[in-house]
Amino acid sequence: MADTTKKYASKSGRERTSRILIYVFLTALSIIWMIPFFYLICQAFRGESRSMVTYFFPKQWSLENFRILFRETEFGHWYLNTLIIALFNAVLQTVIVLCVAYALSRMRFKGRKLLMNLMLILGMFPGFLSMIATYFILKLIGLTSENSVPGLILVYAASSGMGYYIAKGFFDTIPKSLDEAARIDGASRSRVFFRIIMPMAKPIIIYTIMMAFIAPWGDFMYASLITFGHEKAYNVAVGLYKWLDKEHLSNYFTVFCAGGLFVSVPVTALFLGLQKYYVEGVTGGAVKG
Amino acid sequence: MKRLPELEYLGLPPAQQKLYDVRLFFAELPKKLLCGLKKIPSGIGRFFAAVGRFFSDLGSMFVNGDVKTKLSFFIMGFGQFFRRQTGRGIIFLIMEALFVWFMAGFGLGYLSDMSTLGTVAVEKTLNDYGLEITVYKDNSLKILLYGVLTIFIILGFLWTWYTNVKQNYTAQELIAEGIRPKSFKDDLKSIADEQYYKTLLAVPLLGITVFTVIPIFFMILIAFTNYDYSHLPPEKLFSWVGFENFRTILSTDVSGGSKFAFTFREILIWTMIWALVATFSNYFLGMFVAICINKKGIRFKKGFRTILVMTIAVPQFVSLLLVSKMFADEGIVNSMLMDLGWISSKIGFMTTPTLAKIMVLIINLWIGIPYLMLITTGVLMNIPSDLYESARIDGASGMKQFTKITLPYMLFVTGPYLLTSFTANINNFNVIYLLTAGAPKTMSYEGGAGQTDLLITWLYTLTMTNNDYKMAAVIGILVFVVVAVISLIVYNLSPAMKNEEDFQ
Amino acid sequence: MADVKLTNVKKQYDNGFVAVHDFNLEIKHEEFIVLVGPSGCGKSTTLRMIAGLEDITDGTIEIDGTVVNDMEPKDRDIAMVFQNYALYPHMSVYENIAFGLRLRKVPNKEIHKKVTEAAEILGITELLGRKPKQLSGGQRQRVAIGRAIVRVPKVFLMDEPLSNLDAKLRNQMRAEIILLREKIRTTFVYVTHDQTEAMTLGDRIVIMKDGYVMQVGTPQELFNHPANLFVAGFIGTPQMNFFDAELKKDRNGYTAKVEGLNVKVPKHIADALDKRESVPEKVLLGVRPENLILTDSGESIGASIKVTEMMGSEIHIHAELPDGKNVIIKVQIADLDDDQQNEMLTRHGIAFRIRERTINLFDPEDGRNLAVSDAAAVPTNE
Repeated sequence: MADTTKKYASKSGRERTSRILIYVFLTALSIIWMIPFFYLICQAFRGESRSMVTYFFPKQWSLENFRILFRETEFGHWYLNTLIIALFNAVLQTVIVLCVAYALSRMRFKGRKLLMNLMLILGMFPGFLSMIATYFILKLIGLTSENSVPGLILVYAASSGMGYYIAKGFFDTIPKSLDEAARIDGASRSRVFFRIIMPMAKPIIIYTIMMAFIAPWGDFMYASLITFGHEKAYNVAVGLYKWLDKEHLSNYFTVFCAGGLFVSVPVTALFLGLQKYYVEGVTGGAVKG
Repeated sequence: MKRLPELEYLGLPPAQQKLYDVRLFFAELPKKLLCGLKKIPSGIGRFFAAVGRFFSDLGSMFVNGDVKTKLSFFIMGFGQFFRRQTGRGIIFLIMEALFVWFMAGFGLGYLSDMSTLGTVAVEKTLNDYGLEITVYKDNSLKILLYGVLTIFIILGFLWTWYTNVKQNYTAQELIAEGIRPKSFKDDLKSIADEQYYKTLLAVPLLGITVFTVIPIFFMILIAFTNYDYSHLPPEKLFSWVGFENFRTILSTDVSGGSKFAFTFREILIWTMIWALVATFSNYFLGMFVAICINKKGIRFKKGFRTILVMTIAVPQFVSLLLVSKMFADEGIVNSMLMDLGWISSKIGFMTTPTLAKIMVLIINLWIGIPYLMLITTGVLMNIPSDLYESARIDGASGMKQFTKITLPYMLFVTGPYLLTSFTANINNFNVIYLLTAGAPKTMSYEGGAGQTDLLITWLYTLTMTNNDYKMAAVIGILVFVVVAVISLIVYNLSPAMKNEEDFQ
Repeated sequence: MADVKLTNVKKQYDNGFVAVHDFNLEIKHEEFIVLVGPSGCGKSTTLRMIAGLEDITDGTIEIDGTVVNDMEPKDRDIAMVFQNYALYPHMSVYENIAFGLRLRKVPNKEIHKKVTEAAEILGITELLGRKPKQLSGGQRQRVAIGRAIVRVPKVFLMDEPLSNLDAKLRNQMRAEIILLREKIRTTFVYVTHDQTEAMTLGDRIVIMKDGYVMQVGTPQELFNHPANLFVAGFIGTPQMNFFDAELKKDRNGYTAKVEGLNVKVPKHIADALDKRESVPEKVLLGVRPENLILTDSGESIGASIKVTEMMGSEIHIHAELPDGKNVIIKVQIADLDDDQQNEMLTRHGIAFRIRERTINLFDPEDGRNLAVSDAAAVPTNE
């Protein structure tokens, strides 16, 4: 008897040590993870010296950097550009992705497999490769430089059809018999799409809108090419990137942090608020492939 | 290598089974490749048979067609007008008119210039006042771009024309059988129903064609030209050079003048190491963190998760640029370490080649672990708990449970994801470009490449700073080849990925 | 109200697999037809072709005299109940039932009247405001049926509607379907893999295997005169016993010799045999377990008991013949007292004879019933 109690005791003791170890590990991890963000906040509100300094906490807290951001730079333009692009993209990309995903998930037609394979192969080319020619095409129709905003909206939306996988994976889990029941009830395919599938696809619609809205805020690669040479047309990523190069760094480092914070807060809030849908989307997508 | 009989295979210890699988795969690889190669002739055969069928179909449709059908071969929509399909007829006729107008005024000229890509770039002439002015003549870039556009428009038109002929013939046959061919109203109804996919896909596919297919086709052609900084239109012309660029980059001749081949090999190797290490370190560490957070009895699960997820939420250009500055020579990390007296001179986190490579891999964990944590949490929750219960009854310890149940299950379920994430890492522009922009640069590399450059960031530098479009195009094609080959191998190794319908 | 006619219907999938070969059937107005067979026999495919959910590779399907091959499901005026019910999860029960009517632009007042009527018939009036998620399996089933009956379709299709229910509910719903049928006289096509459902519901049953029709007939015909070995084995529990037999003809007619026992072939079979061009010597004799009679005297076949299953009012005896062949005997014990029952259950050996009137003779080569003209051969598995 005594033996067994001792065994149990030692078992729960071991559990406790392992739990403590895990807490220590996770806490350390959390601190490491948060340091850059604390640093960002500290620098954004630093009043003295606009260049990089050798200490972490500012000696003087102020809103000076934000004043500079909006009064003395083009940041307002960049922010507005990005916001407009993000809003349009959220609508267009969602519509396109849902259309493609529904067609490929629910309808069987000649060339469907071929189409999916083609898109798979196209996806294997590095995106930037096609961007070079896209740039010339956009230039032809006058949608670069000062007209970059509509240009970027067009570019993001045009190729978004290829990102149908996650939405298709979601549609695939909706039983086909629902479509069939509706078709027997007298619905055409388009009605099935709007009346049956769409109301059930709320999580994936929210996920798609969210991703489409957030993506333009972080795009550097395409935006730097399309907006090349026209400062007013930059998006936030391209604009802020410039402030960290050698000639601007000493004067703009804290302003960059202020701008970064100003961009991050709404995007992060939106993301954390809709985290549930994001998790559903990525896990579903990852598991389905 | 001989295949083991099934029972003998099952009798092997698990580790040897895996070993056997891998050896078998590589032993059979030549055979499989050969099989694949053997399919090519038959594929080509099938293609030509299809082309043959296409023409014989056309021929028989012309021979068997009545006057209306025959005339529709030349005047699109003609038959439709006389078969009470006016709507279709008008659309076809407009298409033909547009096509003729486009080709005559525009397409034909560019198409014929495609072979040379232009002969005269600029001409100096005197204007009315006797001043010398420059007149831009042929622009190779425009010729190539419009030429490609014209080719696609011709293909599209041919398909439309064939549809027109076919529809005419079908309608003729239906009328002969006494059935009324579909009216325009029926057509409209059908694109909302049985042909709804056409409605759904029309705009997205047009977008993909114009902004992905045509550009990629165009860039593939660029790889066979000498389009670079010394051949920039409109001042200069560029022209076809065949496989010259591929020879430059793939040449094994080290003593040659150009270091492109050397640079490419080095960067390719680093890209592969990067993708491999980044993918698997993220995967296993992410899984480890997920297991820690989800362990029974751990509290604040949501809090920990939210803190980690912040790195996904904050736009990367903010977080990564900031971190790169923190680790810069003058950055906060160096200065704090020196203040603490832990180091006496600055560490070149981002400026010494090897350390920079290690640093980008470590910082990538900061971005990658939370992402994998989310995914693996989802999968971990889905592992049926009775698996663990039965394992415990069988007497498996915690570690055994992990290696025998958790890990195989995870690998099985997330296998496809690992592949996508591997190829995504090959093309991971953001992390490298925002952290180091390829630096530290080195003289031993060509084309502005640096020690931490991946192929994709090198491609970017070649385009944006060096204007070396031809090499950028070649590298883009080679990246595609690498990704495609890896995907094919992995795809063949994991049978679970092949069946789309299995999930439905 | 309508009749349905299938002529030479064939279904071949893109991968070359033929799910249904040459299916011919005329379903009469207001008839209740059951398609039954093991999984993969093509019964659901056939139903889905009638519904218009699958294309027809070859042949024609007519509803009410109109060829519907190229008609969309919504234009066929049919209703269907699915195995997993296929209720729209985001709509209330009321909306689920009303959906089809709304799409047909029926006035709201009429919709309300019809939905409440249908709900009343099925006893789900108090559930109308709920979402499908809040319903039990049986309730969902009723809603699915409600959705189908509210439109008064020409043809009522049901695809394994009871297979997701537990045994008790299944029996109850089966009875309700019979009652429902009395209330709404229309043509029914019902697919199931369960032979009890087929026997109890169908006016006529179509038995299928590997895409071929094995037999079409009333439950009684199928039970008493199965067209081939497959039908004989599929219908009836426990399964029919098959014995190798030698068929001999003498002055008095035909005799089949089974395990040393002479079984007189009944007259209806003998007549049919006489009409045949040739009669094989070696045949398979099929007899149902309830038609093996235990006997203590006279000519009989002896067997040793391996397992005895007590079913309550009857006993199933699994016995082994001296040559190692297995045989099942069903014994009614309702009129035996406890001691007699116990004696029955503890026996080691038995002797039985065959109720001659009930036997069926099959050709061992192709499995056909020798006494049924135009019987289908059993398809061989490749």
